[in-house]
Amino acid sequence: MKFPRIIRRLLMLLAASALLLGIPVAATAFATPGTTGTGWIRLAHLSPNTPAVDVYLYSFDNSNAKIVLHHVAYGTVSPYESATAGDYSVAMRAAGASPTSQPVLSTSVTIVAGHSYTVAGMGPESGLRLQVMDDDLTTPIGQSLVRVIQASLKQQKVSVSFGSTVLASSLAFASVSPYQAVLPGTKTVTVSAGTGDANSSVTLAAGTVHTLVVLDGATGLEVVNLEDASGSGKPPLGGVSTGFGGTAPRGPGSPVPWIAAIAAGSLLALTGGLALRRRQLNTGI
Amino acid sequence: MPNRRPAALLSLAAGLVVIVGGTAGLLLTRHPAQALRPVAGVAGVAALPAPTGPIVAPPQSPEPRSVPRPVSLIIPLIGVNTQLITLGLTSGGALAVPPLSEASVAGWYTGSPRPGAIGSAIIVGHNDTTNGPAVFYRLPDLRHGDKVYVKRADGTLVEFRVTSVQTYVKDHFPTQTVYGPTPDAELRLITCDGTFDSATRHYLSNIVVYATEVS
Repeated sequence: MKFPRIIRRLLMLLAASALLLGIPVAATAFATPGTTGTGWIRLAHLSPNTPAVDVYLYSFDNSNAKIVLHHVAYGTVSPYESATAGDYSVAMRAAGASPTSQPVLSTSVTIVAGHSYTVAGMGPESGLRLQVMDDDLTTPIGQSLVRVIQASLKQQKVSVSFGSTVLASSLAFASVSPYQAVLPGTKTVTVSAGTGDANSSVTLAAGTVHTLVVLDGATGLEVVNLEDASGSGKPPLGGVSTGFGGTAPRGPGSPVPWIAAIAAGSLLALTGGLALRRRQLNTGI
Repeated sequence: MPNRRPAALLSLAAGLVVIVGGTAGLLLTRHPAQALRPVAGVAGVAALPAPTGPIVAPPQSPEPRSVPRPVSLIIPLIGVNTQLITLGLTSGGALAVPPLSEASVAGWYTGSPRPGAIGSAIIVGHNDTTNGPAVFYRLPDLRHGDKVYVKRADGTLVEFRVTSVQTYVKDHFPTQTVYGPTPDAELRLITCDGTFDSATRHYLSNIVVYATEVS
């Protein structure tokens, strides 16, 4: 039996409504958490008997130096510079040497996004080398992270403590201790060596990362406290509840009443349509 | 049954009208109403001039240094010039926010580094009140390279440049990335964004503007 035209149209309308209902609400895409594609690097001269140098940082694909530090003397550590993630080389030349001259030393370093590095000239002048160190950027909650670089040639081995916490024991010249988590506070750093100790007061705050560098001073040993990184000592939990909703777009609301209306309308129209059809059949028109 | 015809026609016509109305209502309410924020950039906001004053250099020494406390925040592009109040943590350990009566000012989290010192300084502001925009309403309009200034108690200015703008669902907020240590002087500006959950009276997302001090 053929459906009357009006009923076919109603069915088509219902089918079309069902299709439209099935259209998914566009999903909101959120940015993935954040690397910005950059890391950090700092340069240092920690070789006691090596004269001042010029230090160059080159990007792998560019012969123009990204950073040039002139006349860097023993004990100097630069601030961190941000650098696009990728491959770099660090070159050292005698202070004042032509930028195109053959470097005394060079090494390659790969900067990974979100990571930081220290590249230091280490060792005695006769065995000078460039050492690349991975610097830490995370601390256990409520603690401070600290390591020691032994850059004293006068004392071949040193032991270093922060208060009563031993940070390094018999650390050899031109070596680096691993980072160690310590309880924060202001305490005395003691450097013990064969022929004498050195003391200095050092503050290590929660949420900070430090490097203590043991240097040959004019007389005896010196300790330099480098701040490698700093964050919130007590990091807040989770996100932030800002906003009271006064400018929020209104939500789409429930579709149920509209669907009910469409269903009721269909029923009404169907009833009317069928009644008309019956009447047409009865009267034989 | 001659009197049945008008009733059947009426039923059919009324049914069709209800179907059309119901379909129209359904389709029109599937899309949320537009937010007040215009689509195109920062049109309609009076940009402020850059603040005048001595701009300090970023930390030159890797040794810790103490810097003056922050007193105000200026973001010329989006017309923000606000004093900074101090914020701590809630009893639940989350970051406290300014009260509704101070929705027009931003706050610096005292547990984070001071702006201009090494580390990630945290500044928070509301995006709206219960009936209109608040201090950080235009924060999502910031882009890479835009300038942000913090004035400090000694009158000096620290100049930051925006490095990235990220949106995070609060359930997956990257606390280490936002609050964790950084090796240079950085700033994070935080406000709310995304869908407003009318049941909890909170937005479901945060927007974080990352900025780094420049010389």
